Amino acid sequence: MKKRVLLITAVTLLILLLVPGGAFAQAKPGAGMYFRLVTHGANDPFWAVFQKGMMDAAAELGCRADIDLAGSDLALQSKRFQEAVAMRPDGISLVINDDKMWDKPVADAVAKGINVIGCNNDDTQGSAGNARLAYIGQNERRAGLMIGRAVFEAAKAKGWNLATMKVACAVEVAGANYGVVRSSGIMDAMAEYGIPGKPEIVDCTLEMTTAESRITSYVIAHPDLKCLFGLGGITTDRLTSGMKNAGKKPGDILGGGFDAAPGTLTGLETNYMVASIDQQQYLQGYMSVYVLYLMKKYGFAPQIDTGGFLITKANIDLIKKLSPLNIR
Amino acid sequence: MPAGFRLPEPSRFFIPHPEIEGSAVARQRLIVRLLAYKVSFTLLVFIALLVIFQVFTPNHTFFQRPNLFALARLAPDLGIVALGVGILMICGEFDLSIASTIPMSSFVFVKLLGTGVPLGLNLVVTLCVGVIMGLGNGLLVTRTRLPSFILTLGTMLFWKGLLYAASRMMPIGIRSWLPAGSWLENMFVGIIGGVFPIQAIWFVGFAVLLAVMLHFTKFGNWIFVTGDNETAARAMGINTNLVKIISYVGVGVLCAVVGMMQCLRIESFTANQGVGFELKAIASAVVGGTSLMGGMGSVLGIFLGTLTIQMIENGMILLGLPAFGIGAFIGAVVILFAVLNKYISRFSTR
Repeated sequence: MKKRVLLITAVTLLILLLVPGGAFAQAKPGAGMYFRLVTHGANDPFWAVFQKGMMDAAAELGCRADIDLAGSDLALQSKRFQEAVAMRPDGISLVINDDKMWDKPVADAVAKGINVIGCNNDDTQGSAGNARLAYIGQNERRAGLMIGRAVFEAAKAKGWNLATMKVACAVEVAGANYGVVRSSGIMDAMAEYGIPGKPEIVDCTLEMTTAESRITSYVIAHPDLKCLFGLGGITTDRLTSGMKNAGKKPGDILGGGFDAAPGTLTGLETNYMVASIDQQQYLQGYMSVYVLYLMKKYGFAPQIDTGGFLITKANIDLIKKLSPLNIR
Repeated sequence: MPAGFRLPEPSRFFIPHPEIEGSAVARQRLIVRLLAYKVSFTLLVFIALLVIFQVFTPNHTFFQRPNLFALARLAPDLGIVALGVGILMICGEFDLSIASTIPMSSFVFVKLLGTGVPLGLNLVVTLCVGVIMGLGNGLLVTRTRLPSFILTLGTMLFWKGLLYAASRMMPIGIRSWLPAGSWLENMFVGIIGGVFPIQAIWFVGFAVLLAVMLHFTKFGNWIFVTGDNETAARAMGINTNLVKIISYVGVGVLCAVVGMMQCLRIESFTANQGVGFELKAIASAVVGGTSLMGGMGSVLGIFLGTLTIQMIENGMILLGLPAFGIGAFIGAVVILFAVLNKYISRFSTR
């Protein structure tokens, strides 16, 4: 009897040791798959949220996923992409931040049987300009159009003369693609509302105090300014302080911009800001992994626009709740 | 003249001119004497810029209250750090890691706020962050004897990496833990009488304190001698390593103050705080007549240099010049002053 108990125990232990743990747990669908996200991003709040989305999706699917942050260094990003291709992963999600540079590398990778999708930034010609198989990200021009519409609608409601209204855009990295395309969207909105001319661009740098200082100086120098946009998270964050420093009251100048940094939320609460666009980059990281998984498994190739969530005073509480969790 | 006083510039500049006599000689002496001080040029440029910006800005907005208020509120961020960096340059060393010390101090400050540490203790611990980071730089530079430019570039990247990992680069608002109007906020970023930003008083206060230390104490003399000729300084019995370490600690403390000040003013920690300050602070010191080789400079010069750089940014935007040209103009000014300083050095040591 004792021998039999020992034998049964030994056999049970042997089975437990030999059979993979996954057989007892619910097998995750993406187990064994590996995806790589090659970006031009940096260690900043925006990409931290993107990365969180990627990690959450990878944990849910049970696959592996890594991210490359090239810090806006195009040559480094290109090298990282070539390295990723050499690793032959199950899929690559790439920020297509140049209309020409990525054409051949992406086409070559796809020809080798590696699924490559675009995320965050796409070729301006879309699938006609690049061989990427799908795209997940904000349509920057549409986002610019949306924030422009929100702010100009508020100006119209105030009864301001739109035909003579002065508009300006503050940007962190002058000439950067995101700023150029977003300001084009704002120009589209200007045309819609009959506002003549182009918005003046204020070069602000990435440093908070310098950005605030330059915005303040600009507002002081242009007493006729009526609408001021931040084209990125940092400049949008500093708009409210800049207007306050220049002695402006809420509503004297209508502010609008992108992302949901603490200063932006304060601006929305105190009515210096009309709205801010959340491009929901968590979804870009999250959906990149899911789309690559589904593409590998079933060949799906969707085009997903994650952008256009308008943050206003009405829905600010939701953002405040999710922001500390790196989700918004 | 107080004991231990040392002129910020060498005093071997007077060239006797036998043909000129009487009041003309006195006038020449005075002019030559003044021009031999590098800070004279900074002062002249500073005054010239004040006049130009006031005269040429549309509606003469330069001297209007909102603009002066903004300058007084924002200029001290770079100014306070530049004072420390400039003195370190006089001592013959550089510190590029300030771009990490500022956000790191701010991060620790916010984290302690979140854990409910009393404000007084929080203030002390935050300053200690600056002390520790400065001490680390000082020890590294004096022990290895490698160029501080490279070593502090390394520490900047090291601390920044740690900060990125710890903060995940997410901004952290302070209002959940620190309601507006706390004594700490009033002390560092308050507005006196609703019109005058207290940051300006801190800036002037630090400048006066450091000017007394640099120009009127024995330790100030040691800084000049260490920067001018370290071997000679050691031969004179000066502990040059200690002088450098204390100077680095000073920079660290000033960075911690600015990190906290910025955090209170913008009501959040952001990992981008201080980005680019490392080079702007050096540029401010150079414009103020500080020698890149060490041993020369003055607190007044650094003070005026940092104001000049920030005034140029401000004035150019007020003038309505293209925003993209600001960097180029500041770069040209820095080159101009570096060249000017070189010629003045030759002239003053002839």
